[in-house]
Amino acid sequence: MALKVFSIPALPRVNGSLARLLPIATTLVAALVTILPLRIPGYAALTPAFTLMAAYHWTIYRPDLLPPLALFAIGLAEDLLVGAPVGVTALLLLLTYASVLSYRRYFVNRTFPFVWTGFTLLTLCAMLALWALHCVLDATLLDFRTTIFRTVLTIAIFPVASFLLGRTQRALMSAS
Amino acid sequence: MIRLSPQLRAAIQRTTLPVLILLSAAIIVLGKADRMLFDSLSAFTADRLAPALATVSRPLGAVGDVIDRVRGFVGTYEENLRLVRENERLLRWQQAALDLAADNQKLRGLVKAVPNAAVSFVTARVIANSGGAYVRTLMIDAGKEQRLARGQAAITGEGLVGRLTEVGNRAARVLLITDLNSRIPVVIDSSHTNAVLAGDNSERPRLIYQSTADGVKIGDRVVTSGEGGVFPPGLPVGVVSAIDAGGPRVEPFVELSQLGYVMIVDYGLSESLPQPVPFVERPGARSKAAAAAKESAAR
Repeated sequence: MALKVFSIPALPRVNGSLARLLPIATTLVAALVTILPLRIPGYAALTPAFTLMAAYHWTIYRPDLLPPLALFAIGLAEDLLVGAPVGVTALLLLLTYASVLSYRRYFVNRTFPFVWTGFTLLTLCAMLALWALHCVLDATLLDFRTTIFRTVLTIAIFPVASFLLGRTQRALMSAS
Repeated sequence: MIRLSPQLRAAIQRTTLPVLILLSAAIIVLGKADRMLFDSLSAFTADRLAPALATVSRPLGAVGDVIDRVRGFVGTYEENLRLVRENERLLRWQQAALDLAADNQKLRGLVKAVPNAAVSFVTARVIANSGGAYVRTLMIDAGKEQRLARGQAAITGEGLVGRLTEVGNRAARVLLITDLNSRIPVVIDSSHTNAVLAGDNSERPRLIYQSTADGVKIGDRVVTSGEGGVFPPGLPVGVVSAIDAGGPRVEPFVELSQLGYVMIVDYGLSESLPQPVPFVERPGARSKAAAAAKESAAR
């Protein structure tokens, strides 16, 4: 694979360390929200993939401020905290970054439905891959229904997450 | 700071991503090959982040309490009627229990039964859960500092929640009875059929390896059997709620997704759980053990 695909585009420089840390900070918050014990029946299994949303959003709008090393660290920390097979979330986030980065030019400056469609495709692939990977790791055929519900929930919540991320991005980055 | 040439810096920037992707894949394979490898790292991470998680989850707990309270107000009248009826019934049961306890005491004295081991417990707050479809665990804000140890049972007033699988200094992980990796020896209360309660990540774990083929009916109460020595016998687990092609399914007594607090109980049994093998094997340890075994065999 050509390494050129992974090169990060030149984007307008952001001053202000707070604004520069925004992508990493929000991805970290997303990871935290994923593991918070909300007392909603059945929620734990269906928790939307918040980190995936943050990774997708920032890879499209500010890949220069979301270093792969940060994604790797956040993914690893999330796996270690929930007791999942270590490395799975890290791999998922990095592959998301790599694949979205190579198609990034189709998504910038497009309308939201287009961006949402992109996320839908990404989530479908990611959830299917996660399911397959966990089936292999656990050496059993895992129940697919939970994965379907989780995929639908993740896609459905994305507009809210995207709105919040976009708002913070505009508030902090254009002011600097 | 070392100043890198622009070319070198660009090259590093381009190769970071593929290298990290390969590294993640390698970590997954390594973690699969040796399950204990990341346990201490996991406990370490949990320890470091436990205070932060506890702080963040506290307001969430408060929100949950408010919701519970509002919900409580709505149905107060009906709830009160129900409780009055239940109280009447329970008072009769209390009398029966007291009689039985007195009987039990007398009989134990007659047969010189060994008294039950002393029980100590610690109540801990749930500070994180496993967001996602593939694991069922909880993290609690107590650890070795509160004398918790691997293998101890996590319970609530209603019944069994799970057991501790990793214990750090200030945080510990509870493997819920619904997790794919959870296997608990149980017994069906009415028919004394032994079985193993096997989690499969669904809300209702299955019963496998039943000692008799037709000893399980819907509505049967399931309690721990104490076999294997990890849990004491008689801890309430759940009720058989359905019997489908995969075998009977058990509805846990505890509402596992709504836990705010759990009790970690030490029955003094956790030593019987196999301890993780240390990653670095000390030279000579094996030969010394072999020599000791030979010596004892010679005697």
